[in-house]
Amino acid sequence: MTGKGQHVLLLVGSPKGLEKAQSARLGRVVLDGLEKRGWTSESIHLHEAVRSDDGRRDLVASVARASVVVFSAPLYVDSLPAPAIRALELIAEHRPVETGNVPRFVSIVNCGFVEPSQNDTCQRILQQFAERAGLEWMRGVSIGSGGGTTRRVRTAFDILVEALDLEILVPDEVERLTRKPVMPRWLYILGGNVMWRRQAAKNGVKDRLRDRPYERRGS
Amino acid sequence: MEKRAMILDGATESGVDTRRAGDVAMDVFRRGGWRVDRLALREVDIAPCLGCFGCWIQTPGLCVIDDAGRDVARRMAQSDVLVYLTPLTFGGYSSELKKAIDRSIPNLSPLFRTVRHEVHHVKRYARYPRLVGIAVSRDRPIDPDEEELFEAVVRRNAINFYAPANAACLVPDGGDDEACRRTIERTLERVIGP
Repeated sequence: MTGKGQHVLLLVGSPKGLEKAQSARLGRVVLDGLEKRGWTSESIHLHEAVRSDDGRRDLVASVARASVVVFSAPLYVDSLPAPAIRALELIAEHRPVETGNVPRFVSIVNCGFVEPSQNDTCQRILQQFAERAGLEWMRGVSIGSGGGTTRRVRTAFDILVEALDLEILVPDEVERLTRKPVMPRWLYILGGNVMWRRQAAKNGVKDRLRDRPYERRGS
Repeated sequence: MEKRAMILDGATESGVDTRRAGDVAMDVFRRGGWRVDRLALREVDIAPCLGCFGCWIQTPGLCVIDDAGRDVARRMAQSDVLVYLTPLTFGGYSSELKKAIDRSIPNLSPLFRTVRHEVHHVKRYARYPRLVGIAVSRDRPIDPDEEELFEAVVRRNAINFYAPANAACLVPDGGDDEACRRTIERTLERVIGP
């Protein structure tokens, strides 16, 4: 255990916040692991932070004093939700050019498709951000299937936590354990479509799932 | 049917100037007889997507937030070509552009299907616009990794939104006007023809 004096910052880029978001839950796994090793932690909901001057100032200051920044967000159209991008823009713009502290940066991206690989472009964007903002890129962890975790994923997080605590490179094992879809594609499509139809039925719109309110008509 | 193009300008307060690139794109469309709209998203109040899926399972096809985001999604659905114009932001889109793109997911169905060996959402509409990404970069020379990443983001968006054609380019902020014009013209020609 080397965590004494080390501080981890969790940045949550989901609109659903620190309590309800799957992104927060995934990031919390890393925080919990580091706290058990003696680290201190704090969490910031980016959608909230970017809305006020105080929030923006605190965000930049929190990044500056962190030993590790864990960024966790859902995939929105091959990238991040807009407020999460806004937060990255602010951090990169306000990071001092010369700073004594270079936080290590880990990104966790979860998507609503079965293939974790659909997060790849988003992870590359986050890597570019880390380089631009003067953070040390450690690893991107991509989770599919709406952020559902399996034993493999939990093992990957254990390895990640240990590497962060020991201040060593994150082993490739983390990627190997999280790269594989948790179920066959056909099963995910079948189950997902049943779920969507059930939810629409609950709202009385099962027969309207294919509505086209913006259909282009005439010239 | 009239040919419609829409330019979504994601300029931010960063100071990167997207106007020149937007003017060139407007000019190309007008010369080709297109009806073209250009929207400076920074001036449009669009709330962030709530991630509630209401646009899929409560009011199918319509965002539950009744603001300008709905109008932008409608205009996107009814365009023949969409241009995503943005300051290059870590190889992707700016937050201003992304706020509009995030609110366009009502234009897809929640249901899943396989596309190119991956899970994607089913089409809601019979036809979708062709997609062009134009990013303006402060870097000189342009970082080839970021350029390739930007092209990849546009290509991935084209798959998700069933764009029948797509193209992307990076132009520098400032510098040679003629080179900028040629790059944008060539990129647009790849999806709308000469």
